[in-house]
Amino acid sequence: MAFATLISPSYALAATLIPRAFWTLLRDHVFTSAGSDCSVVLGWAACLAVEMRSFIASVLLLVFSVSEVASLWPIPRSLSTGSTALKLSPTFDININVKNAPSDLVSAVARSKSYIQTDKMQRLVVGRGSGDESAVQQAHQLGSLALSLAPGAEVKPIAQEAIVPLGSRREEYVLHVPADGSAATLTANSTLGLLRGLTTFEQLWYDLDGQATYTIEAPISVTDSPAYPFRGFMLDTARNFFSVSDIKRTLDAMSWSKINQFHWHVVDSQSFPLQIPGFMDISAKGAYSSSMVYTPEDVQDIVTYAGERGIDVLIEIDTPGHTAIIHQAYPEHVACFEGSPWAVFANEPPAGQLRFASSNTTNFTTELLVAVAKMFPSSLISTGGDELNTECYADDAETQQILNSTGSTLEELLSTFTQTTHGALQDLGKTTVVWEEMVLDFNVTLANDTVVMVWISSEDAAAVAEKGFRLVHAPSDYFYLDCGAGEWLGSDPDAPGKRQDGVFSQAEWSWLMSCLQSYTFDPLANISEAQQYLVLGGQQLLWTEQSGPENLDSIAWPRAASSAEVFWTGATFPDGSPRNVTGALPRLHDLRFRMVQRGVNAIPLQPLWCALRPSLCNLNS
Amino acid sequence: MSALIAKMLTSLFTLFAIPSFVAALWPMPRALSTGSTALKLSSDFVIHLEVQNSPNDLQSAISAVYTQLHNDTLQRLVVGRAAADSVAIARASELRFLTISLTGHAVVRSIEQEAVEPYGSRSESYSLNIPHDGTTATLTANSTLGLFRGLTTFSQMWYSSSSGKYILDAPVSIADEPAFPHRGLSFDTARNFFPVEDILRTLDGMSWLNTLYWHVADSQSFPLEVPAFPELAEKGAYSETERYSAADVQRIVSYANERGIDVIMELDSPGHTTGIAFAYPEHIACANKSPWATYASEPPAGQLRIASNATLAFARELFASVAGMMPGTMMSSGGDEVNLPCWEDDEETIQDLSINNITIADALNQFIQEVQNVLHQAGKTPFIKSDMILTHNVPVTNDTIAVVWQSSADATSMAERGQRFIHQPSDYFYLDCGAGEWLGNDVLGNSWCDPFKTWQRAYSFDPFANLSASQQQLVLGGQMPIWSEQTSPENLDPIVWPRLASGAEVFWTGATLPDGSPRLGANATSGTQAFARINEMRYRMVDRGIRAIALQPHWCVLRAGECDLDA
Repeated sequence: MAFATLISPSYALAATLIPRAFWTLLRDHVFTSAGSDCSVVLGWAACLAVEMRSFIASVLLLVFSVSEVASLWPIPRSLSTGSTALKLSPTFDININVKNAPSDLVSAVARSKSYIQTDKMQRLVVGRGSGDESAVQQAHQLGSLALSLAPGAEVKPIAQEAIVPLGSRREEYVLHVPADGSAATLTANSTLGLLRGLTTFEQLWYDLDGQATYTIEAPISVTDSPAYPFRGFMLDTARNFFSVSDIKRTLDAMSWSKINQFHWHVVDSQSFPLQIPGFMDISAKGAYSSSMVYTPEDVQDIVTYAGERGIDVLIEIDTPGHTAIIHQAYPEHVACFEGSPWAVFANEPPAGQLRFASSNTTNFTTELLVAVAKMFPSSLISTGGDELNTECYADDAETQQILNSTGSTLEELLSTFTQTTHGALQDLGKTTVVWEEMVLDFNVTLANDTVVMVWISSEDAAAVAEKGFRLVHAPSDYFYLDCGAGEWLGSDPDAPGKRQDGVFSQAEWSWLMSCLQSYTFDPLANISEAQQYLVLGGQQLLWTEQSGPENLDSIAWPRAASSAEVFWTGATFPDGSPRNVTGALPRLHDLRFRMVQRGVNAIPLQPLWCALRPSLCNLNS
Repeated sequence: MSALIAKMLTSLFTLFAIPSFVAALWPMPRALSTGSTALKLSSDFVIHLEVQNSPNDLQSAISAVYTQLHNDTLQRLVVGRAAADSVAIARASELRFLTISLTGHAVVRSIEQEAVEPYGSRSESYSLNIPHDGTTATLTANSTLGLFRGLTTFSQMWYSSSSGKYILDAPVSIADEPAFPHRGLSFDTARNFFPVEDILRTLDGMSWLNTLYWHVADSQSFPLEVPAFPELAEKGAYSETERYSAADVQRIVSYANERGIDVIMELDSPGHTTGIAFAYPEHIACANKSPWATYASEPPAGQLRIASNATLAFARELFASVAGMMPGTMMSSGGDEVNLPCWEDDEETIQDLSINNITIADALNQFIQEVQNVLHQAGKTPFIKSDMILTHNVPVTNDTIAVVWQSSADATSMAERGQRFIHQPSDYFYLDCGAGEWLGNDVLGNSWCDPFKTWQRAYSFDPFANLSASQQQLVLGGQMPIWSEQTSPENLDPIVWPRLASGAEVFWTGATLPDGSPRLGANATSGTQAFARINEMRYRMVDRGIRAIALQPHWCVLRAGECDLDA
């Protein structure tokens, strides 16, 4: 069975569950009739059937077509559901059977209980669940969910578990919700796993006109663990500024789809909002205003908030490009500042890059990065490295003088610069992260454990893997959330829906399309089997030339959740079928509506008419 | 152009040796002269209303200006913000009074009444003078509607600083009136629903537009409570709470009219009507028929049974009832994207056609004629979508205003037929384009009207392109539509604003800037020209609570021109 390959054999907890999950499935969907709402089931079967070619696949379809809880995003790796209604008892409670439970676990449970009470999410079907009324009236009541850790598991705060190095994070969990009203159980190997399980549990419940909080798919058994350790979201807070509360709201939304990495592109050429102890001048002179800064307290606040939600904060100080604004405080370290025409010296205005050939600048940058690294507990830190413009240095007298006097090439000096900055970060126990150019375009010596972000094109992933580096997928042709909004530069007469710099000329702005397109991303495409272990995961990215707090929610959500399922669920649905768009769309609708209920302004992917009738708005329905 | 404006223009040209504009103004007034003296608003600034028996809505408009002047926090968008002007502010004279009066023997009527006058008798012109020395500023107009437009200009001019509100370019003289009478937003509340509050907030943002063209119902839902047919909304709305009651409509219409905005209701027909089938399935052919793509341009399929006498009677009563809800003099019967196979494959329609011995084309003509009759009887000038005329050759009455939407190129065809029309071209003005295909299982699909229409694209529209001088009088203006398949309250502000402001300047300011140069000159959208002003409009909107999107990094906004393509 497909299940056998889904679960890592190391999860003893999971191994014992598989046969039971399978038999539950058979009992509920083969030996008894399907759920009460036949039209939905048939609709599902009908549209899935188009994609199922073989006889065997059709047989599997009959067995598994109703096994997906409509509400779960990302869909768990292993899941079995029944067709019995179950409602929460008015006295429903979540019990933490964990000794010395850390306070962030207690808070997570409180949040879960609050979401379950306040979501008031109606089922996305015609009638909004009114047809469930009689089943719900007769349903058993679930009195409690019991949380426990596997025997021998060490009890640590979620925030600590969330920031351990990639590959050692324990996010797996097992959740059972019996149909007969007996206690539900959630077990995991860590508090982080318990958090993931709580997130799943919260998503199971619908509201029946304020009368009941219920599911119609009990019993539910979930054995879950992420397919990839890095599932991220990147936010640029330099082109336009975002308040701490905007970031926190985004972290909440991230956690709802089990995203575990916040890649914070905090500064860039346009502004420097990060206050760094020892370098306060940079933000004092480089932030958009004295109120548009992140103080060390803000950073601590964000890191804690993220950690408690199972999210690690990967800070990026982009170097040596994208640094023009440092000139305001340290003119001596920035070459070609506001060089004109900017297009010669930079990908976007204003021009200006760190004078990396200079040892003074190298030392300055190293101290700066070290100071930043000390502000963030994560084991990861990014030094950027994208879009380095060599023309910037052609006219820079100081750089030319250094090149002449040392007899070195620019590339050699870039390698020295990078080795120096990275060396200092590695001494602090950090793993460095760079954009792909540092591996593919320049001959720069990097530590073997460096993580490379592939952004220019999804096709570049294979080349990075060839070089033996671990990689994170962030391809502009799948995962850029800002594409297609048209040129933001002035005096472009037509300013069509494409960006000027060419890199993005194929990437159309897309909402549903981008959800679906990013959803079809194959993390292992063109990567040899021997190199697949190098793929750590991926992330969607929001560059903010044309975004601000006003459209943060609507441009990011629910699209940024697409990759959350790509990298959590992996290649196959729990029924063993290949992960596919048709099976995803109704659940993505569900996630979007739940986000709106929780105060995030996620966009509608379709008219509500379609959201209530998912199979009727397909291209060919 | 009125005599007033012509006089202003001639006297102003001499002043325009140096390029000058009040950065804060959008749309640009028709005639404008500015100086270079700083002027502060006195802390006891007062607006004197010298209008006898002034209507309540004019008084409310003045209160709103006080509130804006009090609450606005927008500082000038330059490096250093207000601090950059501190020296000038310290030396500035203080403006204590603005007097407002109507010219000559103008009859005093409410803004609400003036806002729904037929085109031609609606007066939006005004004249505003602000001396540099602190002496009284004056606003005059021929109507309370004109005064309202002038107040909107006045409230937009001021920057905030720690020592109060100020401008840098006094004296300011403005003589203004719109280039086109119809300047609108078409708003679809059927694909996804919008609560009344969202519509009111949008009306607040529409200060320079004068038309809410309300596409209230469609095939997906029917949220409008129609007095004659309550079941339409009872069964056709998405839910009990997702409806517009008669009181809601009244509230929206009053709110709009008091802000100088007329509401034109569109009841799209005979296509886009499956929402009616929830309550009256007998009137809808091919309802929810599959594959939808054969019978409609989007799911679900369904159109009124135009050949059925019962359906004709139903349509007459429906239009009469909706027309009766609206105080304005205009109403639209829609008419876009009619699908012929829907009727060709409908047994009842086949039967009705054969009984009456007519063709589908005959039935369509008859349907449109009946609907237009009802609208005329109700005192409404009919609007109709352009494909009903250009594709289906359906005869319409001379006074009909066509909405040219499929392509900007269709405007010349419409003009050749001598029909009055407004511009709503999908290739310039559709605010929803470029968001990708919204149909399921179409992974790589783009929206049908790709790409995204930037504000620059909309701004570059020329209402008279390819029209002869004699055809230009047929152009009544234009409107930008937001279709809501992928829009809901969550992203309404960001998808509409500030791009909709492009349409406001295209149709208010017209072809020429106040200095006589063409609006669409070589640098129309340069950071030092329209871009700087629309950025400011956007920041002012955000300041006033509308979530308009950023058009550029803040760095660029503070440095007009430095983010031009060739800077």
